[in-house]
Amino acid sequence: MKKISIIEVNGLTKIFDNEVRAVDGVSFTVEEGEILGFLGPNGAGKTTTLNMLSTLLKPTSGTAIVNGYDILKDPDAVRRSIGFVFQDPTLDTELTGRENLDFHGRIYGLKQDVRQQRIKEMLEVVQLTDRADALVKTYSGGMKRRLEIARGLLHHPKVLFLDEPTLGLDPQTRRAIWEHIERLNQEKNITIILTTHYTDEADYLCGRIQIIDFGKIVALDTAENLKARLQGDIVGLTFKEPADLLRIRPLLEKIEWIRRIDAVAGENNHAAMGRMMQMMSGIPEGLGMGGMVSGPSPSSNNSFGTSRIPKQVKESMALGMTGARDQVNLPEATRLHLLVDNGGHRIPELVNMVSDTGVVLESVELHKPTLDDVFLAFTGRNIRDERGSMAETMRQRRTIREARG
Amino acid sequence: MVQPLSGQAIYVILLRELKRFWRAKARIIASVAQSFFFLALFGLGLGGFIGGFRGTTYLSYLSPGIIGMSLLFGSVFTGVSVIFDRQFGFLKEMLVAPVSRTSIILGKILGGAVTASIQGILLLAVAGLMGAFTPTVTFVIGVIASIGVMILITAGFVGLGVAIGSSLTDFHAFQLLATFVMWPIFMLSGVFFPIDVAPPLLQTAILMDPLFYGVELLRWCLLGAGTPLLGPFGWLIALGVLGGFTAAMVGIGTFLFSRAQV
Repeated sequence: MKKISIIEVNGLTKIFDNEVRAVDGVSFTVEEGEILGFLGPNGAGKTTTLNMLSTLLKPTSGTAIVNGYDILKDPDAVRRSIGFVFQDPTLDTELTGRENLDFHGRIYGLKQDVRQQRIKEMLEVVQLTDRADALVKTYSGGMKRRLEIARGLLHHPKVLFLDEPTLGLDPQTRRAIWEHIERLNQEKNITIILTTHYTDEADYLCGRIQIIDFGKIVALDTAENLKARLQGDIVGLTFKEPADLLRIRPLLEKIEWIRRIDAVAGENNHAAMGRMMQMMSGIPEGLGMGGMVSGPSPSSNNSFGTSRIPKQVKESMALGMTGARDQVNLPEATRLHLLVDNGGHRIPELVNMVSDTGVVLESVELHKPTLDDVFLAFTGRNIRDERGSMAETMRQRRTIREARG
Repeated sequence: MVQPLSGQAIYVILLRELKRFWRAKARIIASVAQSFFFLALFGLGLGGFIGGFRGTTYLSYLSPGIIGMSLLFGSVFTGVSVIFDRQFGFLKEMLVAPVSRTSIILGKILGGAVTASIQGILLLAVAGLMGAFTPTVTFVIGVIASIGVMILITAGFVGLGVAIGSSLTDFHAFQLLATFVMWPIFMLSGVFFPIDVAPPLLQTAILMDPLFYGVELLRWCLLGAGTPLLGPFGWLIALGVLGGFTAAMVGIGTFLFSRAQV
């Protein structure tokens, strides 16, 4: 099947008046029919990118082609090709659900009969038929969100932009909205670009994920491939006594498929696992800091060529096999983190080996790489770290409050 | 940048304003009631003390001015409501649609003009029931003409409201707007007394008030005469000034709205 690119972004940059580089020379292409996710913390530049692609905001430099139209030269045709579901509520709450859809249909120039038909159809899709004639101000947060999605689709856009589609919604509603989005993508072949700072959302919905941080793309690939970059799973072995650990460790060091061993003191520590993955992934720490780190920044060319990563992985692995192994040697540690491929298959072997020595294990744990780990690896930060401007945070709080109200 | 106009878009936004207006019946009633109190208190109360007033009653003299007040407040409010559209997000829904910003704002201005004029017509009926006008054949023609004048007045002031609303980013400035813009425009529009009895300085201030010319035109339409100060063709002068004001305000409002960031 031949893939047609529906969006081509070329060096898109937005510098705001306060000299903040919100989006910094971003280039990528989106294929027709795919669901692409922008994953990043608040203030990473996700919404600004969408605002430029939808012609709401003029780029400082660079441009993009959406559905064959240039966002600078033919903004009206671009706007006709897209639907946009904004992060903050944009419904007229003094009108009914149906009237909001009708307004939209009319302003997009749909004829009376087509409009009525589509409104009926979309209300059914988002299951709002029975509340269609109530004023939107009486809707719950989830209903408003669903209505906005219905509205964004009413004119059958080729591309749908969803900005944080499930921000602040309860788990059931989130799940229902995910299913809607998936169905629309499959049945109507609508290309979808969504922004999110929920890794589970990106994991569930998106064919490809673009990690964006400080206005730059730091990674663009499928969730699977991104996780694979982390090079393996972590098996956690917890011992009763530090002495047991010291007894077992030399034996483990002889096994060649264990690529790295860390001793960890204290309780189960996911952060330690994440850091271990990052060190082993070959992704330089603080990659996402873009221009803020000195030296050549691999993110500036936005190409993640296959030739570059493996070399770094090799170097990093070599480091792990020699120096790093002895660095972590805490006398009080009762826990070992082992980096291995196919952790699930290795556990029986490890447990047998340990029990052969007479040492009793307290617990065994398997940690598969998650998108959170991927994010940490690429940006050096946890995705839930608050950043973003005060105004943006306040705006999001309002959205969340209204969604729950 | 060329901004093609879309009749459909203008109509849809006008329709939205009408629907919202119709929903806010309480606000319409409150607004008409407020103006009614002015008419009753000053027109009948103060008018009873003054007695006859240049060949007519004080209530008759006062009515066009009070209608003007209602038009002013209604239309500026609609114009400034672009702030609310921004605050509550609906502005984005309009801006991402494939229509020009000029179409959007012209729809808004037309919507504000029509809804404020409906309030003006309601008030005209109330004043009529109170006995402010003598129903003759020329009066009927005058009423029809006055509706056109109302649209002209309100379109100008919605434009002013849009210009203010597009420049302000929060609605805390609302109080300032009422005190320093709307109130002086109302007070200086020659509602309560004929301009020719005012001292020269005050006269100059009144002559600079666009609403004064609007009220003058309404007096010509409804009472058949305006202030002697502007002469026998005062209505023509008033029409010229008001028309210029409205054109300027619609232009400035449209320009500022088109420039405003989301």
